[in-house]
Amino acid sequence: MDEMIICRCEEIPLKTIRKTVQEGACTIREVKLQTRAGMGICQGRTCRPLVEKLLPSEKEQAAVYQISGYRLPVRPLLLQDFFKE
Amino acid sequence: MKTADAVVIGGGVIGTSIAFRLARKGLKTILIEKGAIGGATSGSCDKAIFLQSKKPGVHLELAKASLAVYKQLEHELGESIEFEQCGGMIAIESEEQLSTMKEFVQKQQQAGIPIRLLDVYEARQIQPVLADHMRGATWSELDAEVNPLLLSQAFAKAARRNGTEILTHTEVQGIECIQGRVAKIKTNLGEIATETVINAAGPFAPAIGKLVGLSIPIVPRRGVIFISEKVPPILRGNLLCAQYIVSKHLAHLSENYNPYGIGLSLGQTKSGNLLLGGSREFVGFQKDVPPEIYASIAEHACRIIPSLRGIRMIRTMVGFRPSTGDGLPILQESPDVEGFYIAAGHEGDGIALAPITGQIVASLVSKDNQFAHFTQHLTLNRFAALL
Ligand SMILES: Cc1cc2nc3c(=O)[nH]c(=O)nc-3n(C[C@H](O)[C@H](O)[C@H](O)COP(=O)(O)OP(=O)(O)OC[C@H]3O[C@@H](n4cnc5c(N)ncnc54)[C@H](O)[C@@H]3O)c2cc1C
Repeated sequence: MDEMIICRCEEIPLKTIRKTVQEGACTIREVKLQTRAGMGICQGRTCRPLVEKLLPSEKEQAAVYQISGYRLPVRPLLLQDFFKE
Repeated sequence: MKTADAVVIGGGVIGTSIAFRLARKGLKTILIEKGAIGGATSGSCDKAIFLQSKKPGVHLELAKASLAVYKQLEHELGESIEFEQCGGMIAIESEEQLSTMKEFVQKQQQAGIPIRLLDVYEARQIQPVLADHMRGATWSELDAEVNPLLLSQAFAKAARRNGTEILTHTEVQGIECIQGRVAKIKTNLGEIATETVINAAGPFAPAIGKLVGLSIPIVPRRGVIFISEKVPPILRGNLLCAQYIVSKHLAHLSENYNPYGIGLSLGQTKSGNLLLGGSREFVGFQKDVPPEIYASIAEHACRIIPSLRGIRMIRTMVGFRPSTGDGLPILQESPDVEGFYIAAGHEGDGIALAPITGQIVASLVSKDNQFAHFTQHLTLNRFAALL
């Protein structure tokens, strides 16, 4: 169970994420900055809901905790697709 | 109430580096970060430690001193931060740039920087991906890189091991002074009694200064970067283009035809992602980036490296460099509020300068004068005319 891969793109197992949460991470952004979960080609579209479930319950999270935003591009795009023409 | 010998405000590369050095000196240190460690500017930036581009004088000497600390930092921190002296290149695209860069290389060589001017053939031996029309490049073995995400985390962990208490998701909301001296910090989660506060809030340092009535002339300079999917290694070291140097050093001349401050910055992480930038603009903390900027960065990069056209981008990042205007940070105890130290304003060099900044600020706090040759150039007073 501990070896189960949560972030498939970066191959981050459950145990790594659990350890990070135990050490104090309580937002998606912190888990991402510390483990790379969510940094891969799908940008967390697969693992984000799973990681959210592993975070301390919402009640424990103070209202000030910012949620992690979504960033451009919504789907991977070729660099040339950003050109003006 | 909690008490501390020193409170560091801000958990970016600068604040975590300072907390580590203070704790190592035996000070009971608390670091306060309103979001995540390394979650602001220090998590939205490139990874380059460029020396060849530094102005001879304080800029260059600071960078060299920081590089010296970097060389033993993994040993000190006890883990990898992916530091590597990988070399760096500045690609030259036009005759006009070439003549400016010839002068530039001469000046840098006179200052003792190992830097070479290469013709296009030599440049493409190092970076085969460069376009046919390039006119040449510079190369320096001195340039290095580090993983900025690992850097903040490693500094924070080492600080904690040395006794620092780290409070994340905690916001500093007030600073109380008694007779012109710092006495207490107020946060959304309680108060801390302390006589020493270090303002390491990067681009947010002016707001912290206001809490003690101090005006700090730092403004955010927005930068945009693309992150690509993982690709096999295509690059050696980090790459800038001469336009970047022109827009950095001669901003007043280039602004007319380069309103977004576009210049290539390209690096590849150990995991294979390309970090591809960038822009330099003064637009406040505006996070919404107009599509023209993405288009300009993409078109500029693909002109210099045509094969980038077919690489997929998975994300973009927006960061705000803390800019003082002269490219140097402010590292000083406030002349007006005893015990209030400013350690911010590293603009586009905060990753490069974080290691030496920690040492300098720890030395300022212990008043041992060890870095006076640097700190005399890093005062708030140098902007007196602006305040
Ligand atoms: C696009 C881009 C590319 C770059 N590339 C490079 C590069 O290749 N090499 C290089 O050397 N540098 C680079 N830089 C510059 C570098 O990123 C910055 O100089 C550096 O990250 C600044 O670090 P900092 O710790 O001062 O600021 P930050 O990382 O912003 O840290 C300040 C912290 O203070 C916290 N804070 C603010 N207000 C409060 C409060 N009231 N209470 C508690 N906490 C608070 C914030 O949440 C933040 O985490 C780049 C920057 C950008 C934007």
